[in-house]
Amino acid sequence: MGIDVDIIFKIAGVGIVVAFIHTILDQVGKKEYAQWVTLFGFIYILFMVASIIEDLFQKIKSVFLFQ
Amino acid sequence: MIKLIGAAIIILATTWAGFEAAKHLALRPKQLRQIKLALQSLEAEIMYGQTPLQDAARKLSKLVPMPLSLFFESFSSLLSSGNTTVKQAWEESLERVWGLMALKQGEFEILVQFGETLGRHDRHHQQKQILLTLTHLEREEAEAIDRQLKYEKMMKSLGFLSGLLLTLLLL
Repeated sequence: MGIDVDIIFKIAGVGIVVAFIHTILDQVGKKEYAQWVTLFGFIYILFMVASIIEDLFQKIKSVFLFQ
Repeated sequence: MIKLIGAAIIILATTWAGFEAAKHLALRPKQLRQIKLALQSLEAEIMYGQTPLQDAARKLSKLVPMPLSLFFESFSSLLSSGNTTVKQAWEESLERVWGLMALKQGEFEILVQFGETLGRHDRHHQQKQILLTLTHLEREEAEAIDRQLKYEKMMKSLGFLSGLLLTLLLL
């Protein structure tokens, strides 16, 4: 359970920092960079979540298929 | 423990990079002001002192602060060595110190163009050229100040935040 909480905090941290960078870049009128930063942050988190979901599927497989 | 030290080092490094970029932005209007001041002194030397160009340049090199003083020093010594034209000496010394300045290509062109007119006309014509160059530099300075106000703060906070993001990604 400990590792799950860690990952949630990490996602929250990345979200906060990306949001800060987005606002700062937005304020000085570099909208296109702000959007790229947000997009990359989103993709990174997506990959992280995808790997965790994959773990979950492996666990379900091992429980129900008795491998 | 070692992770914490690494994270601190990364954040420190990116923050420093941000501050360095901000300093570069602040340096440009400052150096433009110094160049303007130097040109005004040069005008005074030409109009009222009627000093020869190499003496005027040597005087100016003592008057202005560091990177610019190197420029006038080199200009003066190239002129006293005697086997170049004023234009060549001006351009060569400009290229020599350009790496130390925080200025852009536009200012370089303005100064090179000024160097082409230097020492080719009578006093009043020369004064007009100096005034023209000063006007150009003033325009550049206004733009530089604008950029400084806009981006200086952004560079500082962006440096720190990108460090934070990097450590979070590597955690």
